[in-house]
Amino acid sequence: MPATTAASQNLSACHVCCKLAPAELHHCPRCGSAMHLRKNDSIQRTLALLVTACILYIPANLLPIMYTEQLGNSEGSTILGGVLILIHHDALPVALVIFVFSIMVPSGKLMSMFYLVWTVKRHSPVSPRQRTIMYRVTEFVGKWSMVDVFVVAILVALVHLGGLLAIKPGYAALAFAGVVIVTMVAAESFDPRLIWDEMKETEETEEINSDN
Amino acid sequence: MTGEIACHGCDLLVNVAALKDGESASCPRCGSFLTRVRDDAYSRVLAYAIAGVILLIFANSFPFLSFAASGLESVITLRQTPGAIWDYDMPGVAILVAAFIIIIPAAILTMLLLLCVPLQKGYYRPWLVTTAKWIFLAQNWAMVEVFIIGVIVSLVKIAAMATVVLGISFWAYAGFTICFTLALANLDRYQCWERIEALEPT
Repeated sequence: MPATTAASQNLSACHVCCKLAPAELHHCPRCGSAMHLRKNDSIQRTLALLVTACILYIPANLLPIMYTEQLGNSEGSTILGGVLILIHHDALPVALVIFVFSIMVPSGKLMSMFYLVWTVKRHSPVSPRQRTIMYRVTEFVGKWSMVDVFVVAILVALVHLGGLLAIKPGYAALAFAGVVIVTMVAAESFDPRLIWDEMKETEETEEINSDN
Repeated sequence: MTGEIACHGCDLLVNVAALKDGESASCPRCGSFLTRVRDDAYSRVLAYAIAGVILLIFANSFPFLSFAASGLESVITLRQTPGAIWDYDMPGVAILVAAFIIIIPAAILTMLLLLCVPLQKGYYRPWLVTTAKWIFLAQNWAMVEVFIIGVIVSLVKIAAMATVVLGISFWAYAGFTICFTLALANLDRYQCWERIEALEPT
């Protein structure tokens, strides 16, 4: 039995207020938001944003995220460099936090979004339920990568003791904030319902085949 | 069509009309959370939102952190955190940080009060639809809990260099984070919109 989806009943669901309305309407009758059966050009938009994020990811990791100025000497440190310094100072839990939020989460997020787009594009039979969970996790962890940008903001504000000791922000902070925001928008523009739309088509063709 | 909700994860139509107080529903096909019914939801949201407003005012009125080394001391307030990055010629990052940690959360709290007071009392107000729309659009972009983790990480990073003291403002902000998260967690998207529609005069 094919599942009854809103789309099969010619209804579209408002993504702001959950209202179900006939698919012909362009604006939600309840909250006035633009309505679509599926998010507009979801795959193309998500891919474009993912590519942008990948490009920004390069300066975010290669440029220093902050400079420590001690008695006139200025020393820059990158994101990975910061993790190594923390390990060197035996601050393992914090090193782990930074490693997870600033290195694993952004790169994992890019990879899982690329994977989801790719499986939808090639009508993959990989369990849609698992892919939906993967999407939810990607969406949820998105904003946690901002930790490193906040750390830079706090340290820059807090640490300036005249010429003795000061911390200054590097351009990687801007690039990294860009990566986080662009991947968050990419996750938002991806429509997980596409995963299930593909599934329904394959299920139905299988049914037809078995009938013959 | 009443009582039906389309799962935002897989578009399956699910009837949730039979839910009673305290019960919640998830999609039987993809497992996404659908909705939760709580008869006292708006009182809960209001309680947390009012506490959040008070704590946010506290958080903006006292020193946030202080840092001392070799007889020199620097004290910052919450607002100076994005301000310092602005002075180093990075207004983009400064605006983003200010928006994520103060401006968006404060706006959401104000809108929660505007939305939930009428909903709790059962009055219709012309701004209900607009405020609800903005709350649901903005809630992903408030990063108060991420900022708290950021503060803790920064402290450990510089603890070796100097003495760092947490100000009253920090504790107020930590409390604000808890209230803010709980206020939003108690506001259910589907139920909130059904309530607005029910109150709307025809």
